[in-house]
Amino acid sequence: MSLDINTKKAKKNAYRISKVRGVGASRIRVPGGYLKAEILGMVQKIAETYGNGIVHLTTRQGFEIEGIRLEDMDAINQMLQPIIELLDINQTDKNGGYPASGTRNVSACIGNNVCPFANYNTAEFAKRLEKAIFPNDLHFKVALTGCPNDCAKVRLHDFGIIGMTMPQYDPARCVACKACIKGCKSLSVDALRMENHKIVRDEEKCIGCGVCVTKCPTRAFTRSKKKYYRLSIMGRTGKRNPRLGKDFLVWADEDSVVKIILNTYRFVKEYIDPNAPGGKEHIGYIIDRVGFEEYKKWALDGVELLPETIVNQCVYWDGIHYD
Amino acid sequence: MNNEYLPFPSQVKEVIRHTDIEYTFRMGFSGDVRPGQFFEVSIPKFGEAPISVSGIGADTVDLTIRRVGTVTNQIFEHYKGSTLFMRGPYGNGFYLENYLNRELFVIAGGTGLSPVKGIVDYFSDHPQKVRSMTLIAGFKSPSDILFREDFEHWEKTMKVIRTVDTAPEGYEGAVGLVTKYIPELSVTDPARSAFVIVGPPAMMKFAAAEVLKLPIPEENIWISQERKMCCGLGKCGHCRIGSTYVCLNGPVFNYAKGKYLVD
Amino acid sequence: MGYQIPREAADQLFGWLAEHYEILAPKVFAGEGCFSDTDVTRYGTVRSLSEIEFDKKSDYSFKEALLPVNETLFYFTEDQETVPAAPGKKRLVFLRSCDLHALKRLDAIYLENGREDFYYKRLREHVLFVLIGCPESCDTGFCVSMGTSQTGDYDLYLKISEETVWADCKSEELKAFFGRLPDGTCAETAVSPEAPSENKETVTLPPSFSEDILSNPVWESYGSRCIGCGRCNFVCPTCTCFTMQDIHYRDNAKAGERRRVWASCQVDGYTDVAGGGSFRKTQSDRLRFKVLHKICDFEKRFGFQMCVGCGRCEAVCPEYISYISLINTLVKEDA
Repeated sequence: MSLDINTKKAKKNAYRISKVRGVGASRIRVPGGYLKAEILGMVQKIAETYGNGIVHLTTRQGFEIEGIRLEDMDAINQMLQPIIELLDINQTDKNGGYPASGTRNVSACIGNNVCPFANYNTAEFAKRLEKAIFPNDLHFKVALTGCPNDCAKVRLHDFGIIGMTMPQYDPARCVACKACIKGCKSLSVDALRMENHKIVRDEEKCIGCGVCVTKCPTRAFTRSKKKYYRLSIMGRTGKRNPRLGKDFLVWADEDSVVKIILNTYRFVKEYIDPNAPGGKEHIGYIIDRVGFEEYKKWALDGVELLPETIVNQCVYWDGIHYD
Repeated sequence: MNNEYLPFPSQVKEVIRHTDIEYTFRMGFSGDVRPGQFFEVSIPKFGEAPISVSGIGADTVDLTIRRVGTVTNQIFEHYKGSTLFMRGPYGNGFYLENYLNRELFVIAGGTGLSPVKGIVDYFSDHPQKVRSMTLIAGFKSPSDILFREDFEHWEKTMKVIRTVDTAPEGYEGAVGLVTKYIPELSVTDPARSAFVIVGPPAMMKFAAAEVLKLPIPEENIWISQERKMCCGLGKCGHCRIGSTYVCLNGPVFNYAKGKYLVD
Repeated sequence: MGYQIPREAADQLFGWLAEHYEILAPKVFAGEGCFSDTDVTRYGTVRSLSEIEFDKKSDYSFKEALLPVNETLFYFTEDQETVPAAPGKKRLVFLRSCDLHALKRLDAIYLENGREDFYYKRLREHVLFVLIGCPESCDTGFCVSMGTSQTGDYDLYLKISEETVWADCKSEELKAFFGRLPDGTCAETAVSPEAPSENKETVTLPPSFSEDILSNPVWESYGSRCIGCGRCNFVCPTCTCFTMQDIHYRDNAKAGERRRVWASCQVDGYTDVAGGGSFRKTQSDRLRFKVLHKICDFEKRFGFQMCVGCGRCEAVCPEYISYISLINTLVKEDA
């Protein structure tokens, strides 16, 4: 039987062309890795109807339904529709499956829905970003993590969003028990010390992890009303020069982070190598080529930063060079 | 209403240096005070520390202070010609009438000699008021000995065993823990004896055990407890042991009661 | 005297009270809980009825209305000591029955144990207490077991709904405010405080414990789980310990202050004496010390139990050490 498949279109439609001829895999994006359990049943049903009964949990918190026949893509797209709707994924054609795959699923740690250390709701922010940046064919990887522990390994992403809180200290509630000092020393960066039986926070050193707040037994330390983020940029894996992302902004707000990522799409459209294989060139390599100063100009265009936001004016990356 | 927390200034009249870290401060004070009671002594802005009374004069009290913490450090640095702030006296102290006409034995370890020194002084001056008096005082080493001049005076009126835990070769005085000397004590009438034991917790525990073996009834033994005290007024809670507040009910306890105090 | 008042009139009355008194009541502090996007209910100054949390037991007790977390005893300037002035306004303190019973414990320590405490007394004399009822038991409280579920020792009792406020006023001073309400807005009616008749948790304390209680294995088994954070003490309405702090100001070493600050018998340093001695080194010893104070040692001294069964320590422990289970185990094993 002849099999006439436009593989470019199939890949854009979020299917993988596998090593077995005629067999592919269906990729389901789950922003923030946050989903209602009923979706699991839907995934199971597709896997058992069109796949080989196996589902791979992807490194980006999606599902990949293995062993599907490429000719079943249209039928599978029909079955994906309720999943796409439940997860509120932007779509261009109803029942047409995913409209793009270049911009990858926005992944996140479990966040403050569950984790005591997290400084914000990572799933909600992941969804907001997904709505803002998807669908898009450009290859962007965005990940969010609730606190500087970085369980989501966001520094390996083009954009890594790390939750911060600005500790608020009320000396009138402080009993000098030193729980915050001990906690900061053993779990974080040792930014607190005691002076006159009260706490002094080294603002330069503090990374906004919030350990002092969770350790405080009297609510002398509380979280700031505003939520803050550290934006790490241009981390990557890959063959030539894998590297950890570097801080671009510290103590940034959510709107600025979203805007900078959207600005980066415009920057990439302007500067991407038109001859890049498969239209794919990683942002990091584009910035390496164009220069950080130029990128910064584009990234901060129209962004209204908070007065307390620190912008790193020069960012250099290192990492391992194989090229 | 009286504000008990406000200290009064008191002139440092004289300073007697015993060792590098132990001085006796003779402070101006006139009022009722008993040996074994304590004052909260402070250098404003640095803090307060409870210090027991080591001697009582007509218009003075002696406070023997060991330089071991923030407050006492400051006191040692700044005492010259100055005033210290005090409030008190607090606590029950030793009631001398408990020891009248008895065979009195005072066993002290280190700075534990301070709170009982008033007893020793009193009966040294009034030897006729006790049937006999014996002092066993233990120090870590010869250089830790306190009240050297007083010992010379006391030796004239009572039996004194001044011992050190360890001593360099050639040292002529007694060597060994105070507990070593307790079994040698001769008590004519245990029922009419009185033992006062003050020192570090472990020393008091072992010394009391030795005394009980003599055998001496529990109610003839008195001890004094040192605890953290922030107020001396039964409020701050730090010195509480069970239902007892050391600052109010102590620091002096009859052993029959004191032995039940479990921190 | 019981009253039924439309909410609008009650809000007006509350406004008058707020002008006259500093009103301290349980209040939700949004986002100020231990974890991100969690709240804490604790005491704060309120100016309107709607600010008060009537439905949920406060996480921290009322005690800070009488015993500030930090209280300056006096200022030093050169050789002068200056005692800060007492608060200018009288206080109204909103609290539940368990906390009002706890007041008796605070009085025992601060007014009866030794000499009267100057600072506590001068505040205490100018406080009126407003009871919040408990239509049903909270989750962790065992006030019925401790005999603290009901009280008549209030100056005012208030129950509120969206439309109506019911009050029982015992204080002549406060009755005057009700008298100022427009005619017809303040209907006299019988009002009595809502109180739970049973709790989800029960604790039955024996008249006394045996001496073996001190060496019961329960201390070690629970103590080994304790991290010594002191939360149980800080939320407790009957824990009253403090530590003294002296400071000199950083930019003027000639001036400073002495203050007292809440202390916890579970936190390192509580029994430390100068020179390095410490009397309760292990969390097991500290836990025993605390629990026995609450259910035994205080009673020996004052004739009534210290613990009022509010259950806050049970609810706050980050290590899930159940004070209720601990006591019940202890009672069973000691029987």
